[in-house]
Amino acid sequence: MARVKSSEGCETAELITAYLDAELRPGELDVIVEHLSECRVCIQEFHRLKEMRAALRTLPYLEIPERLLPDTHPGEQLSAYLDGQLDTAEHDFVISHIDFCTDCRLELHELDSARTAIRSLPGLEPPEFMTIQRERVQKERWSRRRVIAAAVGIAGVAAVGFSLLSPPRPVADLDINPLFDQHQARLSVEYGSNVVPVVAPVELP
Amino acid sequence: MADERTPTWEDVARIYGRKIYNFAYRLTGNPDDAADLVQDVLLRVRKGLSSYTPGSFDGWLWRITRNAFLDGVRKRNRRPTSPFPDDDRTLIATSPSPDEVLASVRLSEDIQSALLKLPLDFRECVVLCDVVGLTYEEIAEAIESPVGTVRSRIHRGRKMLRELLTWPV
Repeated sequence: MARVKSSEGCETAELITAYLDAELRPGELDVIVEHLSECRVCIQEFHRLKEMRAALRTLPYLEIPERLLPDTHPGEQLSAYLDGQLDTAEHDFVISHIDFCTDCRLELHELDSARTAIRSLPGLEPPEFMTIQRERVQKERWSRRRVIAAAVGIAGVAAVGFSLLSPPRPVADLDINPLFDQHQARLSVEYGSNVVPVVAPVELP
Repeated sequence: MADERTPTWEDVARIYGRKIYNFAYRLTGNPDDAADLVQDVLLRVRKGLSSYTPGSFDGWLWRITRNAFLDGVRKRNRRPTSPFPDDDRTLIATSPSPDEVLASVRLSEDIQSALLKLPLDFRECVVLCDVVGLTYEEIAEAIESPVGTVRSRIHRGRKMLRELLTWPV
């Protein structure tokens, strides 16, 4: 165990500093506590060192000149920071940056206010006329669908019934003679054949 | 941070720049020298990141910072420095009374003057501990010395500072 003799000869002086910094090694706490309970000189030394340590730690923490830093600001990372969407390095950067950058700190505050305001907006009901209009449109749409469906159903049933009940049309009803005659007549004109229409008078030799 | 991914030099500048600047200022007592040191450190970081292997990033960074400081001291050949009063613009915004501000500035000046009278080995350990906020282990890594040495230097450094200052106990 490394110890330094104080001016008064105690060998635990160095432990006082380590104790103040919470840097004691295992077993050293008992040593220093026991010693401080009986050595008035080291108690005085303890207070002096504690005072000195506190004074050092209250030295003003200086701003780094802006010109020494990269010319970048977190920008959109500020919103992601508010939403907890940054990884560790980005989070550390934003925390460190807003610690000294007044502009970004102000921007973060404004973004936070806007975010809070948006999130606190009440969930509004649509105006009454819109509700009535929507209901009417829905009703009309439903009734139209019902009419169409009914019409389609009726037409389908009617078609099936009609096909089942009505007798088949006789083939004799179809008179092909006029068509045949027209056809024969056209052929005789175009090709000079002697096809004679059935209806024409037949000359006997 | 370093265990997750290697930071860019811009990350280092943003995250550590202010700490490096305060370390440099308390060691040199001069804002111009402190700014030069920060620039030197960031340049070394930029060059060194390509060969950096993930590990204790803080240890690596503060080792670079310390080496840059020692090189600067050698180059300047101990150019005389005078403690620079803490400018109001650089103080963290609080609202103390004028008397408190004056007392605080005087105290800061006194401590800064006393710091500059410490041997360099003691000064760097005290500043790394009390200004930068490193643990003994981290300081040991930065100055490449055993933890016991760090503990001894911090103790002796604070003790010397206390003797240099003239406060009532």
